[in-house]
This record gives sequence, C-alpha cells and structure tokens, in this order.
Amino acid sequence: MSRPGARHLALLLMALMVVACGADETTANRAAGTFRPARPGVLRVATAQVPAPGFWQGTVANPTGGFEWGLAKAFASRFGLALVEIVEVPFEDLISGRLAGADMALSQLTFSEGRDRVLDFSTPYLPGKPAILTRAGARVNDMETAQAQRWSVRRRSTLERFLNDKVRPTRPVQAVDTRQESLDALTNGNVDAVLLDLPVATAIASTSGGRLEVAAQFPSDDNLAAALPDHSSNKDAVDSAVRALATDGTLRTLADRWLHVALTGGLAEDIPVIQPPS
Amino acid sequence: MDPLHLNEPSGDAFVFLVLFAVVVGGPLVVEKLKIPGIIGLFLGGLLIGPHGLGFIGSGNTTVFSLGKLGLLYLMFVAGLELDLGLVKRHRRSVVVFSVLSFAMPMAAGTVAGLLLDFGTGAAILLGALLASHTLIVYPTVKSFRLGSDPAVATGVGATVVTDTLALIILAVIVGSTEVGASSVEIAIQTGLGLLIVAGFSFLLLPRVATLFMARFGSSRTNRYVFALVALLSAATVAQVVDIEGIIGAFFAGLALNRLVPNEGDLMHRIDFFGAAVFIPVFIVSVGLVLDPGVMAEPETLRMAGIFVLACVGGKAIAAALTRPFLGFSWSQVGVLFSLTAAQAAATLAVADVGKQHGLFGNAVFNAVLGLILVSLIVASVVASFSGQRVPVPPKSPTPTYGDRVLLIGTEDCLFRAGVAALAMRLASTDAGVVLPVIVAPDGDSMPGFHEIEKVERRLTSVGVDLPVTVHVDGDSPAAVQHAITSLDASAAVIDDPSGEWLNVVQTGDVPYRVPLLIVGAVAGRCRRVVVRPDPLAVSVPVGEIARRLAPARTTVVIDDSGAGGSAVETGTTDLVVSAVGADVQPNGAASTVVTIV
Repeated sequence: MSRPGARHLALLLMALMVVACGADETTANRAAGTFRPARPGVLRVATAQVPAPGFWQGTVANPTGGFEWGLAKAFASRFGLALVEIVEVPFEDLISGRLAGADMALSQLTFSEGRDRVLDFSTPYLPGKPAILTRAGARVNDMETAQAQRWSVRRRSTLERFLNDKVRPTRPVQAVDTRQESLDALTNGNVDAVLLDLPVATAIASTSGGRLEVAAQFPSDDNLAAALPDHSSNKDAVDSAVRALATDGTLRTLADRWLHVALTGGLAEDIPVIQPPS
Repeated sequence: MDPLHLNEPSGDAFVFLVLFAVVVGGPLVVEKLKIPGIIGLFLGGLLIGPHGLGFIGSGNTTVFSLGKLGLLYLMFVAGLELDLGLVKRHRRSVVVFSVLSFAMPMAAGTVAGLLLDFGTGAAILLGALLASHTLIVYPTVKSFRLGSDPAVATGVGATVVTDTLALIILAVIVGSTEVGASSVEIAIQTGLGLLIVAGFSFLLLPRVATLFMARFGSSRTNRYVFALVALLSAATVAQVVDIEGIIGAFFAGLALNRLVPNEGDLMHRIDFFGAAVFIPVFIVSVGLVLDPGVMAEPETLRMAGIFVLACVGGKAIAAALTRPFLGFSWSQVGVLFSLTAAQAAATLAVADVGKQHGLFGNAVFNAVLGLILVSLIVASVVASFSGQRVPVPPKSPTPTYGDRVLLIGTEDCLFRAGVAALAMRLASTDAGVVLPVIVAPDGDSMPGFHEIEKVERRLTSVGVDLPVTVHVDGDSPAAVQHAITSLDASAAVIDDPSGEWLNVVQTGDVPYRVPLLIVGAVAGRCRRVVVRPDPLAVSVPVGEIARRLAPARTTVVIDDSGAGGSAVETGTTDLVVSAVGADVQPNGAASTVVTIV
C-alpha cells in the first residue's frame, strides 16, 4: 500500500471512530422507532395482578421489584420517560384488548392468533415454554406420567390449549380463572400438577420455601411479550427496545435476579425436558 | 375408530422441510424471471414466516440460531474468497478507489440519517452500512473473462477495505450503546478488542491451522471441521472482548485466505456447505422477519428511496471519479459500479446487528431490505450491460507462476514430502493451488486406486488440497505436455530423485510453455536452496522463482556457473533441485529454460 493512500485511509478511519465514539445511543433515536406515550412523560403499564411472584412485587401503588417491573423501568429509561404508572386490569380484559388506556401490558402474556387480532405483540422478552409445577418430590419427567396427573390450568390461556392438544391428560383437567386458584389446589393436594409458563413456574417454585418444584418443561415456540393496543404506532420502538435490552444483557440480569432461572435457547438448563408426541 | 389418524404437520422435521423447500425452490422460481436468486430466498422466507403462511412462527429459535451461524459463515467465506493477490497487484488503484467508494456513500448515508432525524450513532451506522458492498455480480463479470481487468481487480480489492471499515464502524457504534461508558473508554475498549481479535485471527490462527493440517489434515472431514472451528473460535474471541462475532468471522476468513486456495478442495467444501445450507438459511431467516405491512408503509418506502439514492448515488460517483483519477473507460466505470453497488452480505450483517442492538427499528430494517433488492437488480443489469463492452484484458506480462502448479510424479516416485512442500511454497505466494499428477507412458503399469488414495492422504497432510489425476500419453514428456495444457498449469514441479527427467528434458527438443522445476535430492529440513539457471536459457525468471521458493529462514543462492557447475558446493545444501522448462514470453514464443539445483 502506498504511504499517502494508507495515510488517507487511516485518517478517514480515525475521524469516523472519533465521531462514532461520541455518539450516544441511549437517548431517543428515530431510526429505532418513536415512542409516544398516552400521557406525556409517563409510561402507563397494565398488568393482571400485583404482586405476581417473580414478576411484580409490592403493590400497584408501591411496586418494589420483579422482572416486569424492572422491564417497565428499563423501557421508560430508554424512551426518556420520567415516570412509570401501573394499572391493574383483569386478565380477561387484557387478552380481549382492553388495556384501560395503558401504553402497554406487561403481564406474562403469550402470543396467540386470537389475541393478536385485538392486540399488538412486541418482540418476545422471555421464552414461555410450558412447565410442570408439582409438589416437591413428585417425579413427572416422562409423557406417560404427565398424562396420568390430575391437572389444573388457567382457563382460556394458551397453556390450556397446549395441555389438551399436546399432553392429552387421561384424567379430567381442572380449569380455573386465576393462577392463585391453581396454586391453592396444588398446595391442598386437590391436583398433582399445574401447567405454567416456565419463568412463572421457576419464580413460584423459588419463593415456595421448597414446597413446590418445577418437575419438567416442554419444548415449544411460546414466548412472553409485551402487549400493545391494536395498531399501536409504538410497536417499532418497543420492539427495538426489547432487542436492545436482550443484547445488552438487561433481560438476562433481570431474569437471574427475579426469576432464578438460567435459560439456554429458551429452556432452563437444569430442568428435564419432556418431548410431546408429534 | 378412524383407520387413518392424520395430524397437522408440525415439529422440527416440518420446519426444516419448509425451510429447505424455500432454499431449493426460491432461487429457481425467481431466476426464471431473470431476478437474482437471493431475492427468491428473501421472498420465500416472507412466504413461510409469521407475516406469510406462518409455517415458522416468530417464536421459533431453531431457524434463527441456524441463521446466525449462516451469517458468521457468510462473513467467513467473504474473507476467505477475496483474491488478495489481485489486491496486492493493483494496490494503488485499490487504495484510491477504496477511499472514494467508502467515503461517498458513507457521507451520503450519514447525512441522510441525520436528515431523517436518526441519532448520531444510527446515522453513522447507516453510512457504514451503505458504504460496504458484496461481490454478488462478480461471477457475472468473470463470465465476460474480465477477472484480471484492472477495474475488476480494483473493485474486488476495495471490498476488503470497505467491508473492514464498515465492520470497524459497527464495532465502535455498538460499543457506544454501552450505558455509562465515556467516549474515551469506548474507543479504548473497541480498539483493544479489535487488536485482540486481529491478533488471534492473523497471528495465532494461521499457525494453528498449519500445525493442524500437518498433523491431522489428511482427513478431508478434519480439514472442513477445522475451518468451522476456526470461524467459530474467532467469532467467540470477538464476542468475549465485546466485538461483534461477524468481525471475528471476517478476520478469520482473511487470515486463512492464503492457506485455503479458492480452487482447492477445502474451499469447494466450504463453498458447498455455505451455498447449500448455511448462507441460504441466513437469508431465509432475514426474509422471515420481512413484514409486508411495514414495507408498504409510506415511511418505509420513503426511507428505502433515500437509502437507494444515497447508496447507489454514492457508489456511482465513486466509480465515475475513477475516470479522472485512474483513467478507466466508461465501460470499466460501469463494471466497477456494478461490482460495488450490490448490497447483500455486509449490509445485511450490519443492518441485522444494528437491529439486534435496538439501533434500527423494523421500518429501517425493512427499508434496508428494500435497498438490497433494488441494488441487486440495478447491479445485475449494469454488469450485463457494461461487462460485454469492456475488452478482454491481455494475458498478464508478469506471469503468476504459482497460480496452478503441477506436482508431477511417476509410478516409481510418488511425491516425496519435501517436493510437495516446495510446490506448495511456489503456489502459496500467488494464492494458487497444487495439482498432483501422475504421468506414465502408454502401456506402463499404473498405481492402483488404494495406492493413489494413500498418496492423496499423504499430500493432504502437507496442504495439497486436490485429488491426484493420472495422465497417460505416448511417452512421459508428452504426458507432461498433455497435463500442462489440459490443466492450464502456470508451472510444474517434477519429482526426479534419479535425475532421469533432467536428462530427458535437457536433451529433448520439446518446448514447454511453463517453467519446469525438476527436484533431485531432498535431504532433511530445507535451510538452503540453490537455484541454478540452465546455461542454455535465453531469459530465465530465476529471481521470481527463487523468491517464491524461499521460505522463512532459508537461504536462496542463485548459481549461474552452469548446470552441474562447482561455484556452489551442493553437498552443503539440504535441497537439491534441477529444473528445465520454458517460460512463455509475451509474444507467446517458448524460449526460456530454468535450472534449479
């Protein structure tokens, strides 16, 4: 390479690096989509239940922690919003597209075609593989045993469909309206197993004082995502934000801290996997 | 009971079925319409993806993981395939054009980004993305026999520089997304990171590769898997020091460029798996996220239009400026433009990484995909139009002796390791290949299949990367002539421990159109090579040959005292080579004889 040519290239590169290093991408960037909150300066987040183990701690008026609370704060920071406001909205309303004026719902929601007709789903922020929560000591790590359990599952959830279509229990399934009803039934011995999203199951197990455990997980394409009002103009900005938080390690840090689960390819590394029949 | 219970197709087998159906069918369908096959892969991805028929859902991780591997593979192959010999030969025009070809679209892209209200980092990244290019129309240009045209060589060489600069900018911008780091910290971190990746790739990797090939390289599977390990290890090192994996993969490709000749068996395997699986899967995985709803939005279309203007306009200005600066004709400018305007690999890679880091949203990403589609069509049309108007360049007056080196053996002497290493040295200087050939007069016995297989394994362990071929003719010199012509050799190395060949060639009147190096005794490790020109030769490229034969820490002595002369004491040499041959002069007359002792 001739000396002047090499010098020009080096100068060009150095100039670009100096300018590029000064670029601050933590502030608003229209290339990544623009977020327009319903109320200026405030990110309004809807969720079905506070507290929800691992995802929301404290109260609606005074949230103190949890994965989705941390995620809401990270979103607000990225969008340059000073406040996060929480509104509690029944699960049925959320999945019907009624967010009570919130900018988004963070409520361990899984994408489904039916829900997608009334909501816009963001890029997923957590894998939502179905997982089996049992009382400690129960061994449910193959399909035959899983089918023989007395199950409880939340009504109208994607998990209910998975249980009936893929697991196909041989005994009647107890479908309930809230997650708490399933957990009560499991604790009281009325059912043997509850089907939950993997991160929800690990969070509940880790706060149960050793009484409950995640016996197994199923591979699936299900994921947890933020739900936005249908045709929201904020989708691009939220998608970009989720990708950025995944890449810079924020989501992993939140999952480690609040959900106590190490995920590889969406599956928990130390929990048995049951392959449903194709 | 239903005698035949039918399930809806699902599961991994079904996902891979639709994926590979697109890999096979997508390009076939669009090529019928004279559209580049890559666009068929994009559109196929869109068809089977969540925004199309939904066969592969947005939550599917398998295809996207395979796609990520495909992206690394794509960058590795891009580094591996670059013809560094061409870059070296046209370094002045490469440097001038690299600066133009990078600076014009870079400036246009950055300004466009700022006008579109992008953040500074996103605007600079957009500029870098537009400044890179992919040699997707290179096969079209080569089909016009323009591979050695100065404009084509300049375009190929500029790819190394523009893509490397684009990837460095990417590293810096991605580094700048680190929350809480100052500009100085980012610059130091990125600079150190790049140094570590470059050190690993350019210093450690080639040494490990050489050792591995010598010890375990006799198995072709081992060689291929080693290439994969090299690519993944460089990407991992990059990731560990917070640099994008694609930069490590690209550097690994560049570092192994000389060790993996483009025409060699290993390169064919790397190309095969890349073309059949990894790279198409990556492109389909990009198509999966194509969102027609977003693409059809006026905002996306407006951005795509601006990107096309900045990129194609910038590349056109850069190509046009080579007329006054480098004296290229308008047709050459057209070819140069077509080579550098096509956006695919590096553009996709940078856009994808920018998207993953949240710098680019769906609208920008889809607009970039629109740019890729338009640039590929424009580049293909211009390449076809300009390529046929550029005259085929004359054969280079300075032959590259190492391009295609024949390694000739006979049934009695099947390639000693030292001789094969000598041929490899000759080839590696010009990033060429060694073609092992066994010659025999008609009627002589031939080595059997198993024997040839054994020889191939032995040759593979010293880096010879092509299968042995057998050439039979009336006599051995005729068989050599036959092999030289049919294999389009640039030089031939003949293994001749008995000295018979030297005698046959020196006393015969058969003109050879390439230099022949006839290797006599080989003793131990080569520390000293004596090159002895034949006294009868009119003009001898001894200096060129000697330079290529000299490995590190080896003394090369040119002894012009005459064949068999005593100016150099041959007893002190480790390598004794005698060679006779004819070098083709520019006028085509065969006249030169070379002797190396």
